[in-house]
Amino acid sequence: MKINPEFVTSVITKFIREELNKFGFNRAVLGLSGGLDSTVCAFLAVRALGQDNVLTLIMPYGQTFPQDVEDAKAVVSLLQCRAMIIDIQPMVDAYFHRYPTDNPVLKGNKMARERMAILYDFSAREKALILGTSNKTELLIGYGTIHGDMACGLNPIGDLYKTQIRQLAIWLGVPEKIRNKVPTAGLWPGQTDEGEIGLTYEEIDKILFELVDLRRSRQEVIASGFDPKKVNLVWEMIKRSEFKRRMPPIIKLSSRTVGHDFLYPYDWDK
Amino acid sequence: MKVVLVQFSPHLGLLDKNLDLHYQFIDRALEEKADLIIFPELSLTGYTLKDLISEVALNPRKNNQLNRLKSYSHKIDIVVGIVEEGNPGLFYNSAVYYSKGEILAIHRKVFLPTFGLFEEGKFFATGRNFKTFPTPFGQVGLLICRDFLHYGASYCLLAGKADLIIILSAAPGRGMSENSGFTSSEMWELMGAAISRFSTAFVLYCNRVGFEDGVVFAGGSFIYDPWGKCLLRGPDIEPAFLSLELELEDLRRARKTWSFLRDDKPEIILNSLQNLLAKNED
Repeated sequence: MKINPEFVTSVITKFIREELNKFGFNRAVLGLSGGLDSTVCAFLAVRALGQDNVLTLIMPYGQTFPQDVEDAKAVVSLLQCRAMIIDIQPMVDAYFHRYPTDNPVLKGNKMARERMAILYDFSAREKALILGTSNKTELLIGYGTIHGDMACGLNPIGDLYKTQIRQLAIWLGVPEKIRNKVPTAGLWPGQTDEGEIGLTYEEIDKILFELVDLRRSRQEVIASGFDPKKVNLVWEMIKRSEFKRRMPPIIKLSSRTVGHDFLYPYDWDK
Repeated sequence: MKVVLVQFSPHLGLLDKNLDLHYQFIDRALEEKADLIIFPELSLTGYTLKDLISEVALNPRKNNQLNRLKSYSHKIDIVVGIVEEGNPGLFYNSAVYYSKGEILAIHRKVFLPTFGLFEEGKFFATGRNFKTFPTPFGQVGLLICRDFLHYGASYCLLAGKADLIIILSAAPGRGMSENSGFTSSEMWELMGAAISRFSTAFVLYCNRVGFEDGVVFAGGSFIYDPWGKCLLRGPDIEPAFLSLELELEDLRRARKTWSFLRDDKPEIILNSLQNLLAKNED
């Protein structure tokens, strides 16, 4: 699970630069929450493209998490990149005024998709490609909103586990305060990822590394000393979130079908 | 002799643009008075082609698109990677060796990786031969990427008394550790050291760089001498124009010390293979 942060940074920054260049962009936009993942992403983007070519959008819901906004602002002043604060409360409230709910997950999903809609709007306004900020842990256990925070033009950190992002953050010089924050999806005050999932990121990442990177079976992982309940929980989370990692299936009728046997590279003619 | 390995990133699906890049690199190699220039696997087309394969395919023996490369080879020997359309509709991942305005050899990739992130077997036809051929610098054998990881392929080149084993590669980097570079690069170097030493031949491995569909090609091209010593190692993931003077006399020197080539017994190997295959029930 150990990484060489300098080498990883060189690969990722080169990837951001070259991929943007291929698609005719020289700017990137990303949502900055004040948490670790989006901060690391912003650090990488500024290294890759320069401070003037990175626009960070800070998109709080009203005054729910004032500390996160302060942390995000601190990142912006550290990086000297471009930033805008856009309060999503009016848009989100307008919707829930018509379709009220007490379910915090529904509210959280709506907020994530509101932020996505703003990012795509600014992507077009600014001719900037959206950088995704979902890490490997979240992608594998499906801890994210489909077409919400998982939506992006390009994901530079999606093959790094949360614990590896922490290693990278130290090397990049991310302030200790942000590195030590308790990870949260910001669904409600006091909510934490680890509290909601029921496992720590260290536990999840170790199990994921065994199951995914080392291709061990659940039985093998359990036999090597991991708690069966935890291994099975992680496995179930992976299984029930596969739909979030895929394009939806298209019914095959013709002899050549999008998503089945119409097969072209993403970087077509680049 | 002076050899150049071009560790670069081709444009995916853009043959003409890649040809222009090839001419520029060849011009530079000519300025440096190189005798042989080697490009990576599918250097004229890019790697992740999928259904684009048929659009960039050509037959180098019939098609005139490569005529300028061919005429360049009056001044310098050239090895490029192409999608070769042998018979109509049969697409091979091929390497072409040009010398003195002629095609000396074409190698069609035999081992097409089709697992995990690789899907070559889905799109390419399979080559069926490993061979060596004479060049101005001695006997040469060509391999393409995964071919080199099947040591039987290199054995065939030993049996063909190869002096230079040339590998064109588009190997993605994968696997992280505390060290710089991808862990996958180590297996190529392990093979480079072993095959050069035990074949008493030069091994010249040209790997590409750049990104395609989120995959990063690792670079790290290398040259090993006939004692298994690394003479040159290109950078990880960065493009590089790598040139090196080879002492072909080293082949003779190494073989005076190590008689692997002299003592090889291909007829016994062949017999054994036939016996093994005859018994193989599957």
